Amino acid sequence: MLRGVRSRPLKLRNASYTCPICASLNGGQRRYINEYIHKQKDAPRSGLAVKDNFVTSRSFPSSTDSIPTTCASNILRNYHSPFEATVVSHLRQHVPIAGKTNMDEFGMGSHSTHTSFGAVAQASGHSAGGSSGGSAVAVQNGDVEIALGTDTGGSVRLPAAYTGVVGYKPSYGMLSRWGVVPYANSLDTVGLMAKSVGKVREAWEGLYAAGHDERDPTSLGDGARERCESGRDGYGPQSGEKLSQKGLKGLIFGLPLEYNIAELDPAIRDAWIDTARKLQSLGARVIPVSLPSTRHALSAYYVIAPAEASSNLAKYDGIRYGQPGVPNPTQSDAGGDVLYSETRGNNFGEEVKRRILLGSYTLSSEAMDNYFIQAQKVRRLVQRDFDRVFRLRNPLREPETFDLSEMDETIQLENKLGPTEVDFIICPTAPTMPPTLEEVEKQTSVDSYMNDVFTVPASLAGLPAVSVPMSVKGDGVGDNAGLQVIGQYWDDARLLFAAEQVQKVSSSGPV
Amino acid sequence: MVRVPSAVLSKYLLQGQISRRGCLYAAHQLRDVQVTGQPTPEAPIIPLRKKLKEQAKALKVSGKKKKAKADNQTVPGWELTVGIEIHAQLNTARKLFSGATTSFNDEPNSNVEFFDIALPGSQPIFQKETLIPALRAALALNCNIQKVSRFDRKHYFHWDQPSGYQITQYYEPFAKDGHITLYARDGIAPEDGESVTVGIKQVQMEQDTAKTIAQAGEEQWLDFNRVGVPLIEIITNPDIHHPATAAALVRKIQVLLSSVDACVLGMEAGGLRADVNVSVRRTDGDSQPLGTRTEIKNLSSFKSVEDAIIAERDRQIALLEEGGVVAGETRGWSVGSTETRRLRGKEGEVDYRYMPDPDLGPVVIGDDLVQHLKATMGLLPDAEVEELMLSYGLSSKDAMSLMLLDNGGRIEYFYNVLDALETRLGDAGSASQAEYAGLAANWCLHEMGKLPAAPTPELAVDGELYFAPTGECAIPAAALADILFFLQQRRITAKVAKDLLWAVLRGDVINIEETLNGANLWFKELSEEQYAELAKQALQGEEKVLKDFQKWKAGQSKAYPQGKLMFLVGKMVRAGPEERMDPKSAENVMKAVMEKQITGEA
Repeated sequence: MLRGVRSRPLKLRNASYTCPICASLNGGQRRYINEYIHKQKDAPRSGLAVKDNFVTSRSFPSSTDSIPTTCASNILRNYHSPFEATVVSHLRQHVPIAGKTNMDEFGMGSHSTHTSFGAVAQASGHSAGGSSGGSAVAVQNGDVEIALGTDTGGSVRLPAAYTGVVGYKPSYGMLSRWGVVPYANSLDTVGLMAKSVGKVREAWEGLYAAGHDERDPTSLGDGARERCESGRDGYGPQSGEKLSQKGLKGLIFGLPLEYNIAELDPAIRDAWIDTARKLQSLGARVIPVSLPSTRHALSAYYVIAPAEASSNLAKYDGIRYGQPGVPNPTQSDAGGDVLYSETRGNNFGEEVKRRILLGSYTLSSEAMDNYFIQAQKVRRLVQRDFDRVFRLRNPLREPETFDLSEMDETIQLENKLGPTEVDFIICPTAPTMPPTLEEVEKQTSVDSYMNDVFTVPASLAGLPAVSVPMSVKGDGVGDNAGLQVIGQYWDDARLLFAAEQVQKVSSSGPV
Repeated sequence: MVRVPSAVLSKYLLQGQISRRGCLYAAHQLRDVQVTGQPTPEAPIIPLRKKLKEQAKALKVSGKKKKAKADNQTVPGWELTVGIEIHAQLNTARKLFSGATTSFNDEPNSNVEFFDIALPGSQPIFQKETLIPALRAALALNCNIQKVSRFDRKHYFHWDQPSGYQITQYYEPFAKDGHITLYARDGIAPEDGESVTVGIKQVQMEQDTAKTIAQAGEEQWLDFNRVGVPLIEIITNPDIHHPATAAALVRKIQVLLSSVDACVLGMEAGGLRADVNVSVRRTDGDSQPLGTRTEIKNLSSFKSVEDAIIAERDRQIALLEEGGVVAGETRGWSVGSTETRRLRGKEGEVDYRYMPDPDLGPVVIGDDLVQHLKATMGLLPDAEVEELMLSYGLSSKDAMSLMLLDNGGRIEYFYNVLDALETRLGDAGSASQAEYAGLAANWCLHEMGKLPAAPTPELAVDGELYFAPTGECAIPAAALADILFFLQQRRITAKVAKDLLWAVLRGDVINIEETLNGANLWFKELSEEQYAELAKQALQGEEKVLKDFQKWKAGQSKAYPQGKLMFLVGKMVRAGPEERMDPKSAENVMKAVMEKQITGEA
């Protein structure tokens, strides 16, 4: 479906914007990596970086103005929210906000270059990944200890892999989305980034303890949380210690065969297999699994996400907030001489416009059945794939029996009931190492959509996933790769412990 | 945003064909594609009076007479088909998806939460309580309540729609497959006979829009108090074939919704709006398919429902008889006009791109809730009319009038008066209450109908007496009950009773009994002898009149000269102390005295 879409050359407007709050920051010695949109002067290095799609209503300690929320879009350039995102309010009780970070406009992009505040880059000149690229770079540089991002189809995990940090996307419905400017509501999750899994887990524990948020209709209620926790390890008192003692012993990891695609960088493939071997040598079992719907997942994602985005972004018309358009008396809109097309045409970036068009088309009455409805069916299949391979059952769905004849032939059956079920899936976070911004510039939209191929399935299924750094053979400057650990729904506590063990192994360097 | 035709979009998406200047610029280039969707320019505005005058003149010239509405229900050779969509504001304390209150008289933009104006990062929280009036409405319309229903987004750009979409129930509404029966007394067209049943396709919940307040010049002000207020949309099947029946349906649905407390504001108050779909087909030949339909939007009175349908039917028939084609389009109607006007054609229609709302879960309605609401819903209007006719002996006309007036306030007042009478009557109450009901209905409708507005402005609306939906009014029910009690017992005269009613309205009288005692207004009837004396006086010099009675007595004339008798009674009343006489007693005495005189002389 996406064949033939050609992207326009990117304009990399380096440091074209100066934040009024942080004007004096860095003086004339700016590093041109644009990770912040607004930054607190002399912020402590133990601070919190917040992606600029979390609304913030309060000011930095050094200033009286409230911090704007821009989503890296011109349409919200001077937007000050009257309220604050739930997760920001929780975290700021423990960590001061160091700044609001740059991103792809409204979260749409894979390299944090689709922003009206100048493209984000790593110091090495490589792509920071997207859309939470600013948060990733802030963590990578050691500016902050912990950063908030959002993950819709890999927006936290991909930048984490590209910048060599840890990125975690929780189960859908676990952390409150109140105050997160939506891109695609059914996929959006709050995400956390830090240099170690331990730091991420610490922040997650605080946010998880806050429980249900009654302002977010997709936040699981207390009853559902209780039900999800039962039969899961890692929740409740002292459960953490027990998990640490157990270590990797007895855990079963699955390697999804479908993720071994032709486009996969050989160095990444080697590191992936190498990590699997090391896990085995430490007492874990590693077995191949099949997730046959994976190949359709990316297409489904690029139908569902733009559809929801086209709907969510309809509110940016310049009437109540944002940049109002200048009505052009010589042109009138079909909707009755209103000023929306000026506002939207001038203030949305190219990628946002592309996805609005894509989404408007797939929702139109003539295309709905062939695109949106089909994509929802694929989404169901992707969810079923995961439910079939995980040992734990999905607490949100009725148990299902699966037909063995549907299974890939290469999968070995454990017994006559079927193949072994696994605790976690490990796979690369991205098929390649980060391209340079010059290379990104030459990519088509479809090329950059391809970066999300390994992260999108967990998003469609609402599953928790962590990307941990993975060293690859002969890695040069900027050659970062990530290994993704995916768990069953609401198995986040155990997933984070397992990821911590995996990080020790995967980042220890090739044998 | 400019709506780009799907074909153009798919070309862009599938073949990458688009101007290098950017997507929305391309959309501007394509503007002429949809010029056909622009509304046709309206004729200059002519004052209504002038319009009506010109219309009458034209009719005179053409030699045709304007048909009375009652004679205009059918056109020979043609069948009319109408389906109606009714939007009604639900009677709820909060908005559909936010905790903001739904008060309409407050300071503009004072009842607005973050979600109501679509602030980035805000989310909808479905207010469960709004289901109760919605379910009551659906049950009153005999619908099947769906166990699971969902909310969808309907996209279109308008400044009164902050999020760029309206949340509604398109794919899975909460109620389906209902029906409503209209009777002759509901005012259906005589051609529909005694009764007609109209199917209800579905009932769905949705959000209202903001209110636009036009200012001088180009400026428009927006009041977001109304945005997000819960509405129900009721969609009927195309089962209606006569204009009067369509109006009766809308009227009856309003009564029904108000009687189950689902909606408080009627059509006049803007709480109810109707869109009608109209098509015609020839009646000759075998089962013709339905004609192309047009939709007339935003009708805000029962009269305009009927008038707009008649006008649109006649327009379509004229068009078809000339060999033309009816275009599927949206049309508008203004009060007092004779023709509907084109708003937009099919090609100008917006593709609403309905999408399930990803923030909102399904609404699951338990059987227990439905059963409870069914059990506690009380009497529906049809049953109530029957009850009024059977138990209280009211005519169907009086019963319907009580039900319809003041949006249900009048009937509540009537019940309040009956309750007060029951208290007044004590133990004998409920048994003899029925005897008073006819009198009470008569006074509630006719005597009180003559009253002007109360002097206090909060108890008056448009110069008329105001009845609150709960039945409160400037005349306390207890006061009217007292008046009726004494009147029925013949302890006061009708004249005194009427004077008392006015005095209560003016605020001169608080306690009826005290006033009667104080001013000594009790009816002290003359004795039999005093009546007889007056009768004899009245008969003096009326020998000629007496002859008529003698003739009747002798069988020379067939009819009893009742007129003559009343003349004599009138003379008798005028001569005596009127306030102590009962016309009935006077008549009886006069008859007896005359009888005596005639037989005595014979």
